[in-house]
Amino acid sequence: MARKRNLFCYLMLAPAMLLVLALGLYPMLASIRMSFIQYDLMLIPTQGTPFVGLANYQTLLNRPEFLQALINTLSFVVVVVGGVVLLGLLIAQVLIREFRGRGAVRTLVLISWFIPPMVAAGIWNWIFQPERSPINLILKFLGLITRDIRFLTDSSWVLGPLSIPFLAISLVRIWNGLPFTITFIMAGLQSIPNEIYEAAEMDGANGLQRFFYVTFPMIQPVLAILVTLLAIGGIGHFEVNYILTGGGPKGLTNILAVMAYNEAYNQYRFDLAAAMANIILIMTSIIGAFYVRNQVKERSL
Amino acid sequence: MTARSAPSKYHSTQYYRGMAFLKNALTALFMGMVIIFTLFPFYWMLKSSFQTPLEIIALPPIWLPLQPTLEGYIRAVTLYPIPRYLLNSLLVSTITALLATSIASTAAYVIARFKFPGATFFLGVLIFTQLIPGITRFFPIYFLIKDVGLINTYPGLIIAYLGFSVPFAALMLQGYFRSSCPPELEEAALIDGCTDFTAFTKIMLPVSIPGITAVAIFTFLGAWNDFLWASQLLNQGQLKTLQVGLRDFLGEAGSLQRINSFMAACVIATIPSLLLYTILQRSMVSGLSAGSIKG
Repeated sequence: MARKRNLFCYLMLAPAMLLVLALGLYPMLASIRMSFIQYDLMLIPTQGTPFVGLANYQTLLNRPEFLQALINTLSFVVVVVGGVVLLGLLIAQVLIREFRGRGAVRTLVLISWFIPPMVAAGIWNWIFQPERSPINLILKFLGLITRDIRFLTDSSWVLGPLSIPFLAISLVRIWNGLPFTITFIMAGLQSIPNEIYEAAEMDGANGLQRFFYVTFPMIQPVLAILVTLLAIGGIGHFEVNYILTGGGPKGLTNILAVMAYNEAYNQYRFDLAAAMANIILIMTSIIGAFYVRNQVKERSL
Repeated sequence: MTARSAPSKYHSTQYYRGMAFLKNALTALFMGMVIIFTLFPFYWMLKSSFQTPLEIIALPPIWLPLQPTLEGYIRAVTLYPIPRYLLNSLLVSTITALLATSIASTAAYVIARFKFPGATFFLGVLIFTQLIPGITRFFPIYFLIKDVGLINTYPGLIIAYLGFSVPFAALMLQGYFRSSCPPELEEAALIDGCTDFTAFTKIMLPVSIPGITAVAIFTFLGAWNDFLWASQLLNQGQLKTLQVGLRDFLGEAGSLQRINSFMAACVIATIPSLLLYTILQRSMVSGLSAGSIKG
């Protein structure tokens, strides 16, 4: 009986398992392998694909653009994740309460959730068009600027990884990523029993104290999961940067996934691209390891 | 949005009312700014899509269409094959959603219900592949699809989409199956002569239709919104998906005079996302199981 049951389980699993192995694990391994061989489409006809050890990684480390893209990738994660989580916490605090018109407000705040990144980038690209930007118009009206900000091309002001194009792209990604964060935090907030708040209130805790001594400790596990997911997504992010600037100007918005893609499809250096994909794999696996363990434990109960 | 007044001998009721008013006013101001931030791009897209090229190029920018026109939309669907791209995307995303949800549902069922050797390992593999960004397996899959001759075909792109849709759908569904139906129901069915498989098809599936629909919609949106995979696997002529078509549109017709038709195309691409969002919205906050959805 048990054996028959097991056979049934494996048969039910088989299609999904095969797919995940063929299109999930195998390509990751193949990508690791590709990073240790010479896989330059221009040279394959004459030289094939010889094993080159760590040469691809060395090539990358010797390129200032790579280090810039690496630092940018991590900086984007910090700015974008920090931005959506802080805003998300504030907004979720408000949306969780009962008030008139809450349904409508929720709908409006969360509306950008499923907007395709391509469309998001397309709209913001138009909003960022310097002479016709409504943002510039307002800033000029308020007397805050005299010359139009060139959101996506100005490389004159640089502070570490920060620059105007960097901040402009961060803004777009925050816009696109905020609804998910809010929803996630709201789900966490809803799991806090009301009695705890009532007890805290009885003890005379004010709003801020309630946040720091009740809300925050209670949703810390949810926040940890959220930050893990957002950081992993951020390290592998591609679309918005690729579509809005392609990594420019002067590499100020270049990130690993965009550089890997360009290296592969513009330079035909799939080996370098794979090496960068691999660096993304290593970083995200390290961050994700505890998450996977935690989730497996939780779900196999 | 009322401040709950804790009993305190130090403050008068009047002080509390004042504080509550101030707090509500500040909250409203903050939420107002948030709503402007989230809605402004939609407004700018819509108003631009209804303007004439002349209004688009005007300086300073004009905030409302003075002579609302459908010219942008007409050009988007006549000069550019936007309707064709839309159909391509609909086809690919629908097939992906149906296939991924079906393949994932059987796996999700046994993971949710049975203990068997390797179950934990497989669950770990699912979570891991769903978690790690697509770019880490992008290049080998590109060559794989190329080698089997499926580059620039619908099946090639659908196969690539299944790679990330199946783990996603399986994880969401197994969470849903755990709560949608009490195991006793299936046990009773087994005693009545059902096999394990018919217990799944006759008991679990029918009661899980709302959840399965939601998962299928999420999967659909994942494929619909994708740009990365489609940009290399299906980028020739008439076969492009909408996202890739829009990107080319932006590249070759990004000149100012055509922004109105580009914005019209963006509106068209946004409609399915917004429609499905309103369907999903009700189940979202309550039904979102932590960790099974990524942003």
